[in-house]
This record gives sequence, structure tokens and C-alpha cells, in this order.
Amino acid sequence: MPSPSVSAIPQLLVSTILLGGIYALIAVGLTLIFGVMRVVNFAHGEFVMLGMYLAFWAFTFLGLDPYVMLFIALPVFFVAGLASYRLVMRPVIHASHNVQIFTTVGLSIALQNVALVLWTGDFRFVRTEYYSVVVRLGTTAFNISQIAAFAVAVAFTAALFAFMRWSYTGRVMRATAQDRQAAGLMGIDTDRVYALTWAIGIVCVGVAGVLLAPLYQVYPTVGLQFVLIAYVVVVLGGLGDMAGAVLGSLIVAAVEVVGSYVIGTAWKEVLYLLLFIAILLVRPAGLFGQRGAEQLGT
Amino acid sequence: MSRRTLAIAVAALMLVTGGLFAVVHGQAPAGEYKIGVIEPLTGPLASEGKRHLEGYEIVRDMINERGGVMGKKLVFAVADAPDPTAAASEANRLITREGVKILTGTFSSRLCGAASEAAARHNVIYWETSCVDPRLNKRGLKTVFRTEIDATGFGWYNVEFIAKHLAHRFGKKPNELKIAFLSEDSSYGQGVTESARLRAKQEFGMTEVAAEYYNWTTINDFTPIIVKFKQLAPDVVHHIGFTSDSPLFWRQAREQNFLFKALVHAGAVGYGSPDFGKALGADANGPFALLEPGPGFRLDSLRPEGQKLEREFREAVQKRTGSHPLGGHQLAGPGLWVLKLVLDHAKSDDPDKFRAATMSLDLPVGSMMNGWGVKFDELGQNSNARVQHYMLQWQNGQLVTVWPEEFTTHRAKWIPLGAWDQRK
Repeated sequence: MPSPSVSAIPQLLVSTILLGGIYALIAVGLTLIFGVMRVVNFAHGEFVMLGMYLAFWAFTFLGLDPYVMLFIALPVFFVAGLASYRLVMRPVIHASHNVQIFTTVGLSIALQNVALVLWTGDFRFVRTEYYSVVVRLGTTAFNISQIAAFAVAVAFTAALFAFMRWSYTGRVMRATAQDRQAAGLMGIDTDRVYALTWAIGIVCVGVAGVLLAPLYQVYPTVGLQFVLIAYVVVVLGGLGDMAGAVLGSLIVAAVEVVGSYVIGTAWKEVLYLLLFIAILLVRPAGLFGQRGAEQLGT
Repeated sequence: MSRRTLAIAVAALMLVTGGLFAVVHGQAPAGEYKIGVIEPLTGPLASEGKRHLEGYEIVRDMINERGGVMGKKLVFAVADAPDPTAAASEANRLITREGVKILTGTFSSRLCGAASEAAARHNVIYWETSCVDPRLNKRGLKTVFRTEIDATGFGWYNVEFIAKHLAHRFGKKPNELKIAFLSEDSSYGQGVTESARLRAKQEFGMTEVAAEYYNWTTINDFTPIIVKFKQLAPDVVHHIGFTSDSPLFWRQAREQNFLFKALVHAGAVGYGSPDFGKALGADANGPFALLEPGPGFRLDSLRPEGQKLEREFREAVQKRTGSHPLGGHQLAGPGLWVLKLVLDHAKSDDPDKFRAATMSLDLPVGSMMNGWGVKFDELGQNSNARVQHYMLQWQNGQLVTVWPEEFTTHRAKWIPLGAWDQRK
């Protein structure tokens, strides 16, 4: 075991920010869906997987770069979101949390196995010409695809934050989140709000998948690699809070990176889950969460 | 008869007829002999499980072309086991519903423990062909057998290769080498790594600079480990990884310009999987993986009977898949062939007769596919010394056999590994 070196700090800092960006990218959609719909989407990781496969097949058969694919993924996942809401979520949107959990778990298993049947369990990778391009700055080095993922994560979070805060539709969504029944009495079509929220959440996570394709291998259960951390991040930041999701992502990434370096990688999950418990003991609603958020509007 | 009594009677009748149907359904027709095959066909190991099953099917067809087992056509009842819970429940189902007396599988060290426990409870034979968990044969289960080397054998070979083939080419004695151990934390990774650590230190006096474990299903960034390893400057990185994490480590090591003299792995996943080369292309050049023989392997180094079998096996795999046999094929297929030899000898699946026949098999190294020999010990483990293994290296998009040199026409390259952009 080496003694921790000061010279390692810049690289660890960069790794924390870039890894945090990846986690934030996945967590933002999850927190949006929970914040407005009060649904914990257990199929979230599978939409990451679908985004990765979309990037892989578009790259393999059409030669489309994942960053070009990003613009195509937006409408594709919006439509996929609307369709999955209509077919799967709408019938259970007023049901108990237990029913919703079983529904999204069922959707998760179904999507994993559809991917397995259609595309087999083989590991695939989007190897772009620039996949190994490394940017070196001082003593730090980082992959260009990670920077792109981080930049998009920040842009998406900022855009969603602005949308929710200042747009009319955003205000309607927040009103629905605060009190579903009162919103309905004020003439808001809550069913449309939920459909839109679900679709935007799926777009976020689908785009995350496209951006992760040049960084990680694609296989039917790849979503599980990220989804547990996304739940931790969302609860840590405060259910339904965008800025909290980003901060939560950076905290979890920092604990992972520094913990792996100083203590050992075997401890990384123990460390961030201990921190998770500690924060929830002090702030049960998470860093930015509203106490009782999970009960609002039900 | 009241309505309630009638309902109970109907339900009971349905249960009985359903049970009868299940029993009838479970029996193999006359002229067929059915065994249970448990594989991870879904979940993160699905791609390897599928390849493993393919290996079984190829050799099953070879066996049936030669008259089957015990004079009957060999058939499979296949079950999917993505995790240990499913492995145990599917083992139970195959035994109770399909009526099998022999179970085989399971490719993974995550699964073999659970499946074999379930088989042992029913006094059913469990024939493992791939998992390397060293604990499998150390539980006193008399019906559990393994044809593949165990993890301690993997560790032994890797250190042998490092000490006797690499060290002098680095211009160092084995006891001057610095080695960093990195491993996924399942029983496969731990078994190989702990065995290699022990031998490297005790027998060769190598300096261990790090021993890091991680969970391969949740690791998303190796950079902190690489930063730490760069400080420690090991000569050799001993990395036991799976198929999703190994390319990530290799790519991030390149990004961080982490220079070491060699990376050594063991097993058909990770650096030993064709998916590693598919992910990284020419950038995959360099790492070593302990495996069954690959391209370059000299058939004439085997005994005549081994040459014949190996040639037929390769042709069958080529015909079915269009490629040289891959790790999963080479574990399942030859393992099933040994089972056929035992059944031919025992002429029974009675556990006692089967065990006696297994113990009596004695084939020298070079008489089987992969150049294996067969001699089971009292624990049900095919002797590690008989399960000959080879070191393969990624060279220009494929894994080629490079060691022991008397078995191959290829030679190891890039010793020591140079700069990342000079491994062409």
C-alpha cells in the first residue's frame, strides 16, 4: 500500500468530476420521474441499456457516430417513453407503490430478456476512431468521451432545471407533483403531465445510454452496473431534486474514487453506503429533499 | 357429494394427473439417455454460458455419432441459471421433474457450489466442467466431480510462467520481480489470486506491491487503482477479470500511460474471452491469458489418440461456428467426453459404480482434447497436473498459444511491454 501522494490529487479530482458526470446523467431522469410521478422506476437501467444498443447498432450498420445519434435518440426515446407510459405505467399510475414497483421490475426483466433474445448476451463495444483519444492537462489525463458525457450531463441538468423552474409546462408539472388532486381541480390534465414526465425521464436516460456506449461494453444486463448507484444518488440528493442529483453524484463519485485510492476498491460500496446512511440519519429527506416528498400528491 | 368436496376431488385429480404427466414427461424415451445441463443463459454471463452450451452440444453430437453413452443416444435437459439461487432451484427441478441422474455445467464459479449442493442432497452425480472454485471438491461430497483444473492450478501456472518465462527476459531474477495483484472478488478471482500470491511469495520470493479486489458488476472506473499502481511501479500486473471490466482496465491503463512489463490473466473470461479483442482491436495487443490451446498449438505434440480427438473436435467446432474452438467450447466439450468415457466404463449411473469407474480412469497428458490427461483424486478433482494448460497472448486481434514453447509455433512478443503505441 503506497502512502497517499499529493501528486495524485489532480487526477483523482478529475476522475471524481467525470465519474460524477456519468452518474448524474443517469440519475437526473430517475429523479425527475420520482419527483413528479412518485414512481420509483426500476426499469431505469434497462433504458440505459437500450440507449447503448441504439448507439451500437447505428454505429455498426449505419456508421453513425454516437454524438450524431444523440440527436436521433432524443425523439426516439421520447416516443418510446410515451409508448411505455401508455402501455405499462398508465394503468398503474394511481395504484399503490407496491403495484408500481412490481410493474417497473417486470418491465425491467422483460426489457433485459427482449434484448437477450434479439441481440444475444454477447458483449459489444462502440469503437469510434477517437475512442482512445486522451486529453492530457498537466499531470492529469482523461478520455474525450468522458468529457462529452460530463458536458451533456451538466447541460441536461441545467436545461431540465430551467424547464421545471421557468416554463409553463414545468410549473404545471411541479403543481401536479405537489398535489395531484388539486392540480386536477385547477384544470390540469394530470395524465398528460405524467406521460410527458415519463417521456422526458426516458429521454434523459436513453441519451445517457448513447453517451456511455463509447465508454463501456454493451450487454443485456449492463443497466444493473449503474442503476444501484443512481438510486443512491437520487435518495442522497433528495428525491425529485435535480441539483441534489448532481451533487449526490459528485459525492458518491468522490467517495468511490478517494476510497479506492486510499483504502481499496473492495471498500468503495461500503464507504458510499455508510455515507448514505449517515446523511439520511441527519437529513432523512436527503440533502435537498423535501420532508415527506414521497407522500406528496398521493 | 357437496360442491366443496367435489372441488377438492377435482383439484386432487388434477394434481395426480399433473404429477403423472410430469413424471412421464421427465423420463427419456427408450433408447435415449438424458442428463441435465445447467448454464447461465441469461444475465451477465449469458454470452459465455451460450458458448459453453455450444461446446456441450458439439461433443454430444460427436458422442452420438459414435453410438452414444451406454448404448443410448445422449440427450440434454437444459436449464438456465443466471445466479446461484436459480442454479440450486434448476438443479432440483432437473432432478425431480426431468428425472436426470447426472447434472453438468455450470461454467461459473458463482453457480457450481449451489448446483452441486442440490445434486448431492439427491445423491445425484454432479459433473463440473468449468468452474474453478477451489472449494468445490473440498466439501466431502462423494458425487461431485470436476474435469477442469481448479483455481489453485491456475495460480500455479501463472506464477510458473512469470518466474520461468518472463523474469529472465526482463533481465531480472524471480525474486527481484515486483507484482501487483488485481482481481474481481468472486470465488474464481479470489481462488486464482490467493493461490498465485502464495506461490509467488513463498516459492519465488517475489515482492507483492498490491492486492486489490473489486466487484466486477459494479466497477465503473479503474483510474484510482491505476494511479495507485503507477506509484508502486510493478513489473507484472496479475489481473483476474471478467469480460466487462478487463477492457475497461486495459483502456484506462492506456489513458493513464501506466507502463508495466506484462499483464497475466487466467480463464476463459476477461482477457481470455474473444470479446476482449472485439472491444479493443489492435489496442488489445499484449496481455497473456492462461487457457486451453489456441492457434499455433502443435497437434503433433499430443499422443496419437489425443491428436485424433483434438482434430475431430476442432473440425466439429469449425463446422458449427466457423471458428477455432474458444474457451467455453474447450471446457465443456472435453469435459463431456470424459463423462462418456466414465459411463462407458461404469455402464451405470449408480453413484457408487460411477465413482469407482471415475477413479479407475488413468489417461496420460496428451491423450485427450486440449492435450489433457485424466486421473481423478479421492476428492473428485481431475488432477491439476493432468489438465495441461497453455499461455496465450493477444497478438494482432487474436489469442495465440505462446507457452510452453514446445507445444506451439508462435512466440510471445513485447516482453517487456513497450510504450502503448508501439505494440503493433
